[in-house]
Amino acid sequence: MNTNTDDMIGRLVADLTPVRPLRQRVGMVRTLLAFAVSVGIVIYAIGVRADIMAGRPDPMFLTSSGLFLVLALASTWAAIDMARPSVGTRRDGWAWTATMAAVLPVAALGLIAIDLFTGQPVRTAPGGYECLAVGTAAGSLTLVSLVTWLRRGAPTFPTLAGTLVGVAAGSAGIFGVSLCCPQNDLIHIGIWHGGTVVLMGVLGRLFLPRVLAW
Amino acid sequence: MIADDATMSRLALMAQAGDRQAYGTLLTTSRDWLARYYRRKVPPVQIDDLIQDTLLSLHRRLASYDPDRSFYPWLAAIARYRFIDHLRLVYRQSVETHSDDADFAVDSGEDAIAARISLERLFEILPNGQRAAIELVKIKGLSIREASDKTGQSEALIKVNIHRGLRRLAGMVEKA
Repeated sequence: MNTNTDDMIGRLVADLTPVRPLRQRVGMVRTLLAFAVSVGIVIYAIGVRADIMAGRPDPMFLTSSGLFLVLALASTWAAIDMARPSVGTRRDGWAWTATMAAVLPVAALGLIAIDLFTGQPVRTAPGGYECLAVGTAAGSLTLVSLVTWLRRGAPTFPTLAGTLVGVAAGSAGIFGVSLCCPQNDLIHIGIWHGGTVVLMGVLGRLFLPRVLAW
Repeated sequence: MIADDATMSRLALMAQAGDRQAYGTLLTTSRDWLARYYRRKVPPVQIDDLIQDTLLSLHRRLASYDPDRSFYPWLAAIARYRFIDHLRLVYRQSVETHSDDADFAVDSGEDAIAARISLERLFEILPNGQRAAIELVKIKGLSIREASDKTGQSEALIKVNIHRGLRRLAGMVEKA
């Protein structure tokens, strides 16, 4: 074996300092705290939906926000796990959750397509830009928490890790927004709330791999 | 002699706690394992560099090892990551070397030959059409039309072959 390698091993041994192993639950707690703070800020700034306050939440709200919450948790879990690489580990559970959540935008686009094909006036989705902007901003705390965690670890698939961070941040942010947004319309929720998750996922895939590479 | 996974896990846990003796054993055993891992993938002249890169990554990312999990899959994941990085570097060097004739004349040393061997090993898995398309366009820098004239493939087929070939190479590297 090359003596350079032996020399290097000697230097690395001399350089050793104790490290605390990255624990999945620690990363999860950190990120859930960031998630909770961002939801709290959104609620403080905008206020909770009237139907929640009245104790009679709309079924559409419950279904859609539940899907975004589960997607946020599943993708956060998968992203945090990517800090600890291991050949042969499967991390595709989040993809099934994402597929379930994708039913919302797909159904919204289906409704619009039906309107177009049948010549009826196309149903619109009012107030979407605000949800997109606030959802994206609200997801940034989750994003920062996940990125700092992953930079401490060793993500060996930075592109997938970036996508997961984006999806987790987008779905966390839009979950906070959904607690305040008064809309129960499928098109609004599918296009604008679902679109926030897609947008953040795409941005994460495009820009985060460079940040996460090591 | 390669230690079993349980022993390596214990050594890694002790290294995380700052035990230098355990860490030395861990690195030496990992070095031997990595030598075998890379021997099947790259020319001998590149093995030591890759081993050193990987050991340095192991050192910097020691906290990313979870003592509740197996050690070798963690080491293999880091080794694969460094190998993919190495392939990117080799590919870039190869393209740069071939796209600049003046530099090629000066720089065509051992590294360039080693890079070439590494690429040729990868190319062995490709069908002839895909290999020719990638070599002519992506490495020698010919235009799609020139590659088409030279190989007799249509321009569309050249593009398809490049796309499919690169995807196949990427898939092969992922599985490595």
